[in-house]
Amino acid sequence: MTLLPSPRAALSLLGALALAVALALAAPSPTSAAPAGPGPAPSGLPGLAPMPGDVAVPLSLLPPGAETPDEGPSPAIFPPQRMTLRFSHVRHAGMGVLCTTCHARVTASDSATDRLLPAATTCDGCHGSDHADLNAVLPGTAPRGACAYCHLSHGPGDGNHVAAVDLPRPNLVFTHKRHLARGVPCARCHGEVGELELATRDQLPRMVGCLSCHQQTDSAGPHAARSACTTCHLGELGDGGEHSRRESFRGSGGRIRTVFASGTLKPPRWLGGAQHTPDWLERHREVAAADSQLCASCHTEGYCTDCHDGRVRPRSIHPGDYLSMHPIEARMATTRCSSCHQEQSFCLTCHMRVGVTMSGPPGTQEAGRFHPPKAVWSDAPRQAGHHAFEAQRNVSACVSCHTERDCVVCHGGLGIGGGMNPHHAGFASTCRSQYRRNPRPCLVCHEPGESNLAECR
Amino acid sequence: MPVHRPRLPAACAAALGVAATLSGPARAIEPELTTDSSAQAYDVRSPTGQTVLERTRFTSALGVNLYDILGHDPRRRDAPELSFRARVRYDADYGVGGSESNPINAVSFVPGTRDGAGMVDLMYAYLEGRRFAHGALGFKLGRQYMVDSLGWWSFDGAEVKATFPFYLAVEAYGGLEVRGGLPLSTPRFEAGGVWRGDRSGWDPLLYPQFQPADVAPAFGAALEASGVTWLRSRLTYRRVYDTGSVGLTEFPNANLPPTTYSATRISTDRLGYAVEADLRRWGSVKAGLAYDLYDVRFSQIYAALELFATKRLTLGLDYDYFAPTFDGDSIWNVFAGEPVNDVSARASYVHGHLAVSAGATARVYTVDTAPSNPASASPNLAPTNAGYYPTNGHPFDEGGDVSARYRWGEGSVGLRGAVNVGDAGDRVGVDVSGQRVLETRYLFKGRAGVWQWDDKLRPDRDATNVGYMLGVGYRFAPRCQTMFEWQHDMNRLVGQRFRALLTLGVAYGR
Repeated sequence: MTLLPSPRAALSLLGALALAVALALAAPSPTSAAPAGPGPAPSGLPGLAPMPGDVAVPLSLLPPGAETPDEGPSPAIFPPQRMTLRFSHVRHAGMGVLCTTCHARVTASDSATDRLLPAATTCDGCHGSDHADLNAVLPGTAPRGACAYCHLSHGPGDGNHVAAVDLPRPNLVFTHKRHLARGVPCARCHGEVGELELATRDQLPRMVGCLSCHQQTDSAGPHAARSACTTCHLGELGDGGEHSRRESFRGSGGRIRTVFASGTLKPPRWLGGAQHTPDWLERHREVAAADSQLCASCHTEGYCTDCHDGRVRPRSIHPGDYLSMHPIEARMATTRCSSCHQEQSFCLTCHMRVGVTMSGPPGTQEAGRFHPPKAVWSDAPRQAGHHAFEAQRNVSACVSCHTERDCVVCHGGLGIGGGMNPHHAGFASTCRSQYRRNPRPCLVCHEPGESNLAECR
Repeated sequence: MPVHRPRLPAACAAALGVAATLSGPARAIEPELTTDSSAQAYDVRSPTGQTVLERTRFTSALGVNLYDILGHDPRRRDAPELSFRARVRYDADYGVGGSESNPINAVSFVPGTRDGAGMVDLMYAYLEGRRFAHGALGFKLGRQYMVDSLGWWSFDGAEVKATFPFYLAVEAYGGLEVRGGLPLSTPRFEAGGVWRGDRSGWDPLLYPQFQPADVAPAFGAALEASGVTWLRSRLTYRRVYDTGSVGLTEFPNANLPPTTYSATRISTDRLGYAVEADLRRWGSVKAGLAYDLYDVRFSQIYAALELFATKRLTLGLDYDYFAPTFDGDSIWNVFAGEPVNDVSARASYVHGHLAVSAGATARVYTVDTAPSNPASASPNLAPTNAGYYPTNGHPFDEGGDVSARYRWGEGSVGLRGAVNVGDAGDRVGVDVSGQRVLETRYLFKGRAGVWQWDDKLRPDRDATNVGYMLGVGYRFAPRCQTMFEWQHDMNRLVGQRFRALLTLGVAYGR
């Protein structure tokens, strides 16, 4: 019995699927989720951009860890913002205003969700406005007290209506209170904001900057900056729902949340060389081998075993008609089969069922010969295609089809097999150690009293 | 010799019991349930297109995770944490004929084959503690995986990890290796080279080369860098023992009855090391090795240098040495399997949503150009005349690959191509793929490719394959979705090959 459909049904199904996939791929994308600004702003005024003339912020003013050219912090951690205010930090700092004068709540903030922008009433003292009742804000009489002086796009007829500032909460665990209590200055994370006009999202911390302090183990002292991922990153339960957005949620067994509405967290290239480039499949083992926890920071065992103990062929790894093509790849070891398969169970069993092995049941023996003709496979000269040549190049390929007896029949010691010596050069220098640790392979091919064994005992 | 069966379920039950005991108030536990199922139907034909196996497979895995069993103070992210994770899997192939799995039927019986009743294996089930003793102590108890420079491994037992403030962690573990043929176990992570499984009740003359599975005690230790974020390093040692009887007679008969060897002996005895150092703005260095103390040779050595040429371009140079080694019971340890050496150059370019990688590799083999044991007392019947051995002792293959990916919010398109050329065969081809999510719930994906392979050993198996895959799915919750894939390949060896795959994944977290 087969579950595969008839040709006509298959053709209909194929047509429907092809149409659906083609339409899906060609469908227009929704507009970007990034918040839009309030519209064009008058040029030439200070506080509309970080630097006068909107030139790029010098690296020396950006947070530690920023690069040239700088692409800003990760949108997955700090979602795009919409800033509808005109503000010059450098002008305020020049008048002796401290960071904490306006951002007064920062010293008590214990959560990244806290709103740390100053209340509008903070501005009233100097600007002459009155934001006490946000439903009836009174502008100041001086030009700097006008709504449009700070609120972009505010027109004469707009009254109390101003464009909203949108600062989405960062997807991060952070406490300003603890950092300030330990003497960490604002510039250590935010760069030289006091020398800029408008502070944008680009002044938010870079992870590489955090790691200059966060270099301590979990067993370090109570005031140490630990480097475990969950020290700063949100925990992951996996459902992506409201539950795992709680900053307090940590019960994930060390796994962090990676998928956010504003983006997906991927390791940067400077972190363990773990950048997930398209050739990551070829590179990832070197990263996994050096750190038992790095992969587990984001992935469950199930994610890894989907391939490493998989039961469904991943086409991204095994392309095309891999069932027909895999013998060549196995012989060339382009991909090391044993990374995901145990040759004597996974491979051999199927090869026996198909009938291509030497030891398979008689009912499945195939009439065709899998290996090259005897003249190439067994006879002189020993060259590519000869079984000794191929076995030396990749004995693992032999193991995926053959059981021991297939080799012992010729390579077993005289009286057990044909007496053809299969050992490699220098074997005599290592066989003593092997015999001592496990003599079983020796005893398969040699009688216990055989003189050849004496030199290995 | 008596055969001891492992008490694997007992270990898992104990872990569950401890988890339940320590769970405390129900409100403290963060539970998560996952199920992943797949049903697939396809056929398998031999390289000459003759034999056809119908495979109708169903696989389902159920996962249970309990996080934060102890509960914690939300303000203390460094508080001790206890969690339990388990995953059990059912795997069946309804295309297997009953005679293939029945040892009574010697005409078609294949050892290790399961019939439609399938098999259940416990992939992992362990209780994990982190950050106990002021962050200094961690442990895992139960069936667990281990991944390091010695590869993937699975065992039932306990692992304890002590983390010291001075950037060092020490790990020790012991238990029983997970082996095929034992209850709730898979052979996937045991050392290769031994055809092994459950042969209880078999005639000793039936497939004597199929060895009986028995418990495999194991222990190991590791030293690992901890805390510092620019350096990752792990030194690891592991020893596994084979126990129970193993057959010695490959051709038993009335005159040569089966003999066995029963003493406890080495299965694997390996030492590994891996290091990775970030040079921050400049690049990174990786290196590693695995030394087989049983085989008295390196089974793997690798080194990789990455250079951040520009902000978007990374260049890499890799060296990889690999020599196959097997379980200590395997005769292939003493066969002349020679190492291969790979030298690769890579480049990756990432710009926004676009990422492109390309690489080129040369693989150098080693073969004999003269008798390997001219002075051996063993009779070496291979001819020694001139012209018998190849003149080049280091034949090599070469290859290259290119892959690209463009991702945007709800979709991606990709390309993957490869060329491999060698004495054993050539392979060249390219796949293009795309996937798209519409309205966060309607899933579409497709893949098409052309691959040509030339089999240098059997030119009659050369073929060009044209294939495609189309898939549609529906996501009814963030981690709950179903997908149907239709695959169609065409080449002269098999004509038309179809494969239908239906998957369903459901996850629930409170």
